[in-house]
Amino acid sequence: MLAADWRLFALVGLAVALLVWALILFAALRWRRRDGDPLPPQFRRHDALEITWTVLPLVLVCGLFVYTYRAEATVESLDATPDLAVAVNGFRWGWSFAYTGGPVITGDANAPPQLVLPVDKLTRITLTSADVNHAFWVPDFLFKRDAIPGQATQFDLRPTKLGTYLGHCAEFCGLDHARMNFSVRVVAPDEYARWLRAQRIGARP
Amino acid sequence: MTTGLRLFISSGAFSIAIAVSYWLVAHEVVGTFLLGFMALALSFVAGYMIVAEREADLVGDRGDAQRADAAGEVVGSFSVHSPLPVWAALALTGIVLGLVVSPVLAGLGLVAALAVGALFIVQSR
Amino acid sequence: MNLLAWLTTTDHKRIGILYLTTSLFYLLVAGALALGIRTQLARPENTVVDAHTYAQMFTLHGTAMIFLVIAPFALGLANFLIPLQIGAAEMAFPRLNATSYWLFLFGGLVVFGGAASAEGAAATGWTAYAPLSEIAVSTGIGQDLWIVGVFLVSVATILTAINLITTTFVYRAPGMTMWRLPIFTWEMVATSLLIFMAFPALAADLLLLFVDRRFGGHAFDPNGGGSAVLWQHLFWFFGHPEVYVMILPYFGVISEIIPVFSRKPIFGYTGLVLSAFAIAGLSMGVWAHHMFTTGAVNNPFFSFVSFLIAVPTGVKFFNWIGTMWRGSITFPTPMLFSVGFLLNFLFGGVTGVMVASPPIDYHAQDSYFVVAHFHYTLGGGSLFAIFAALFFWWPKMFGSLLDERLGKLCFWLLFVGFNVTFLPMHLAGIDGMPRRVVTYADMGALPLLNLIATLGSYVMAAGVVVFVVNVVLTMRRRIPAGNDPWGANSLEWWTSSPPHEHGFTSLPPIRSERPVFDARHPEVAVRR
Repeated sequence: MLAADWRLFALVGLAVALLVWALILFAALRWRRRDGDPLPPQFRRHDALEITWTVLPLVLVCGLFVYTYRAEATVESLDATPDLAVAVNGFRWGWSFAYTGGPVITGDANAPPQLVLPVDKLTRITLTSADVNHAFWVPDFLFKRDAIPGQATQFDLRPTKLGTYLGHCAEFCGLDHARMNFSVRVVAPDEYARWLRAQRIGARP
Repeated sequence: MTTGLRLFISSGAFSIAIAVSYWLVAHEVVGTFLLGFMALALSFVAGYMIVAEREADLVGDRGDAQRADAAGEVVGSFSVHSPLPVWAALALTGIVLGLVVSPVLAGLGLVAALAVGALFIVQSR
Repeated sequence: MNLLAWLTTTDHKRIGILYLTTSLFYLLVAGALALGIRTQLARPENTVVDAHTYAQMFTLHGTAMIFLVIAPFALGLANFLIPLQIGAAEMAFPRLNATSYWLFLFGGLVVFGGAASAEGAAATGWTAYAPLSEIAVSTGIGQDLWIVGVFLVSVATILTAINLITTTFVYRAPGMTMWRLPIFTWEMVATSLLIFMAFPALAADLLLLFVDRRFGGHAFDPNGGGSAVLWQHLFWFFGHPEVYVMILPYFGVISEIIPVFSRKPIFGYTGLVLSAFAIAGLSMGVWAHHMFTTGAVNNPFFSFVSFLIAVPTGVKFFNWIGTMWRGSITFPTPMLFSVGFLLNFLFGGVTGVMVASPPIDYHAQDSYFVVAHFHYTLGGGSLFAIFAALFFWWPKMFGSLLDERLGKLCFWLLFVGFNVTFLPMHLAGIDGMPRRVVTYADMGALPLLNLIATLGSYVMAAGVVVFVVNVVLTMRRRIPAGNDPWGANSLEWWTSSPPHEHGFTSLPPIRSERPVFDARHPEVAVRR
């Protein structure tokens, strides 16, 4: 969904850019002055053209907006029944991942924590900050959300590919902002179940 | 109606429209206040200009005006030099800097600002 | 002129030159900071500067470029030009005008003064987000000096806006109706309107932060009943119009230069004027597109209005192309920079429409993609227009033309250097490089992309050096330029170079936006 949005806008953007660049360069090169050239025709307006190049772009951006609105509604939707929930807390300079029912994985700039998620399952993330603004960004997911102190925010993740993905803090938060990293490891559901059990057993006092 | 007045009336109308739309769409208090105050400010200027323009007849607004039409017009006295600006700036800087580093400096700045203000009023008479 | 005369001047032309000189000085400082940033980022895990120094560097770079270079240069240019373009003897409030300049100078010095304090200058970015900028976290007075320094500059800016609008409304020469104003003057009216509407929000934000820091307030502290996101609302209500304050004047510059070197009138004058105000109005309603990733604002509203702004901007582009279309075009340095502006800014506009889509912004926000976007508009756009303006109006201001061969060399170094620096940043952002990071891991394409960007920045620096050399040589050689070396259009080209003390000793008839052109070419003069 997100990748499709990128592709559409990149395509439309590139097409517009190439068209306008071509017009600029064509005009600049085609009508270079040659010695002795008289004053060119001094036209200053063309109402039909001006209306067209106002209305057509307006229609285009409205179309882009409709597409964007639908894409955003899909990305932001919160499922009624997530498969699992993790409370993510950002702090200077690390992250903690608190799974409902345990464990709580914590890490910092020296030992970045890892969020383990089962593939094709819906995880509800509740994001908070302990101090200043941070942002939870997983570039491979094409998604980030800000962690703002005093307000919890929620979003759903449904990873579809196995693998380990890097995560970064994406809101400047001071000295170790550049090292406030984490990773997300997406595993098969049975491996996730084993991992969860091992974590909970290990955490038992 | 001058172009300037049209400008403020349309800006005021637009800002009212966008403030209302924003409240209806977003129901968000901070943004609505900001847009609403902007609408108030622009409408205030427009209202003032409507009244002020009743007496106005600018030579610049007359499309057929000849250069001679402005001859002998008294537009005001323009000082070519004045020490007040740099002192006013120093005074204001003293006040704000003083609020950070030293109340004494802030006090001095305030005194200087009042002195500059008084001198300005005296000079403008 | 001696020092005392400069300290007490109220002449709009001298004040304009003071603004230009000071803003160019800050450009060199901010540029040096940028070179430092790029040097640190040339290789992964680099240790040229530590994290705290780096944070001060990007904070001062952004603060200086935005508050002390791009906007003041435009205001200084407006100071010099607008009374001349409208045929007035002086600005409406000459002493207020001078006060603005000194406030701008002192404000900038206060901001940079923080660097001399024990804990250094402000280090929270030019956006100074709370709670990072609150006293509990940013404990040094550098942040306080940033607040009050930016406040002084804000006051200066608002006062200049008042001066510009009043002067334009009231002091036009006989026949200079509003619809015969040069486009630059119109763009400055729109810019001034934006300044009125936007800067008070910044002043309020700064005041609240100062009270939080120094007088025990909790405006942005959720533990004290405040709201962290409130800082962002107030800041971006100012911050977004501010970027239009930083581009509209330069749209005006381009609109003055292209007609002259195409030997045609500006195409679509009415469209250019209306689009300036459409952009200004709409720009007041898009602020939270900087907050799409907070989850705290109505994204569709701001996305829609942000898309809408592309339409009047496009109108301007088509008008500029229409001006060149079937013209008779030459390419002295001002025209090279203007065409460079068109090519660069277009790309920045396209990436702007991309990040106006929240699903795209969820990845791009706070990454190098967004850094690339705003450098294409502010650097590839405004900065190129700054150089276009310098080369175009230098002879009017100082009486002699800048060297043309050095000018062309400067342009090519800047054009190539700029694109080599900022094009790779789009990819770095897409690849996952956050902004405001002192370093990055040695993985993937980031090391190569950053190295290329750094090399580009050195090429840009060479272009700036060539410009400085040009200025020095020109000031020494002093070949007189005459009233109108370019064969230009608007009233400032009627008077001498530099202009007489009160502007004009005579005026041509004013029946269109090109009174000087009409006087020289009565056979094609039209009446607007």
